[in-house]
Amino acid sequence: MKLCVPGDKLCSSEDCIPGTGVYLRHGYIYSSLAGYVLRKNEGEELPVISVVRETETQLLPDVGAIVTCKVTSINPRFAKVHILYVGSTPLKDRFRGTIRKEDVRATEKDKVETYKSFRPGDIVLAKVISLGDVQSNYLLTTAENELGVVVAHSEAGAQMVPISWCEMQCPLTHSKEFRKVARVQPEYLQA
Amino acid sequence: MPTDTKRVRGPEVSQSPSLFSCDPAAVLPSKGPRADGRRRDQVDVRPVFVRCGLVSQAKGSAYLEAGNTKLMCCVYGPRETDRKDETDMKCGRLTTDMRFAPFSCPERGSWIQGSQDKDFSLMLHESLQPAICLHKYPRSQIEVSVMVLENSGSVLAHAVTCASLALADAGIEMYDLVLGCSMRQDGTSYVVDPSYMEENGCSSVSCENQGGLTVAFLPSLNQISGLQSDGDMTEETLTAGVRTCIEGCYKLYPVIQRALTKAVRKAAPSQSES
Repeated sequence: MKLCVPGDKLCSSEDCIPGTGVYLRHGYIYSSLAGYVLRKNEGEELPVISVVRETETQLLPDVGAIVTCKVTSINPRFAKVHILYVGSTPLKDRFRGTIRKEDVRATEKDKVETYKSFRPGDIVLAKVISLGDVQSNYLLTTAENELGVVVAHSEAGAQMVPISWCEMQCPLTHSKEFRKVARVQPEYLQA
Repeated sequence: MPTDTKRVRGPEVSQSPSLFSCDPAAVLPSKGPRADGRRRDQVDVRPVFVRCGLVSQAKGSAYLEAGNTKLMCCVYGPRETDRKDETDMKCGRLTTDMRFAPFSCPERGSWIQGSQDKDFSLMLHESLQPAICLHKYPRSQIEVSVMVLENSGSVLAHAVTCASLALADAGIEMYDLVLGCSMRQDGTSYVVDPSYMEENGCSSVSCENQGGLTVAFLPSLNQISGLQSDGDMTEETLTAGVRTCIEGCYKLYPVIQRALTKAVRKAAPSQSES
């Protein structure tokens, strides 16, 4: 496997398509990372060349990415979260995000109450809609069936079981609490 | 600004008596061989030892030794920026910090950053910023911090090299490695990669054409990202000096490449993908 350092000229742009970890300059492809050079044939005319490091690839939350976050505080207008995972890679430093009231669900946006959708400490699956502007953090949305609360603890302290898209039940006290529950695909649920 | 309230310093204008007790041996000859056996007027850089992955807590780190100059660099990031302003939305921010340990120079320094440290940090920032693909890290901050353990000459040049190694070890995307080299002009002859005595001692010859020059160079792209010079040198000397420093950088390049490939191989020994 060929190793390269940043700035190495890999090939010309006529031989390969640039992938990740490389950049294009004056018709040549140069490496921008120190790692292994990978050439993959994607089925199109030209192979895709990219440089990878086996250590966890630094991922920043990007628009459209599904992220796993933990709710830190709620407010009648929005909920503040800490982004923990991007896709399935954990982040080394946590980033902050915001879920606005109107992004909690797709229908009846004005009748949403954040207190009945999230509570502090819930683990939520969300999608990044925007990197945010100067003042705000990453903007996230849960307005889809597969997004929302996946793990929540009841006021008694036990992990709750989802009953419907808007309710979860505590196994100890059998009390129901309101959350915006995510419809997790059956293959991801462990028995 | 934190001030050192526990130490009693003398008035600013007073100087240490040891400065006045200089013996004639401290004046360096401007002809003849250099103290450590290297040659004058030749691009003779000190052999360099580099290792990546020194600090386990940091995202990336590197340690560099050149002669007696020892320094280490840690890189943290990309992290979320605490202060946000307009420019952060499109690209990341780079913060550099260079510190001298109090035991690094012949005279004991202080832990609080002096003006020289801030100067060096700014120059390090200027040299590293063009090389990093900051547009790939919007709203993030990359922190580079260099600590000089022993200052034995041409500290800024080696700090630039060490910092770019640590950045590559951290997996931060860069356009190219940044290598640094410095030289000192002494009358009609010059020395490359000066040691502490050669940098600070002045020769007894007339003071014209005396000065130092540090160049930060991107070898693969053939661009200069940082240039620092002090002293009094003519234009031809300066341009010749820049060319000499670039040659010195090219001599360093294979060593740095080898150290990086060794670090990558150590991090991921087997690659079974086709």
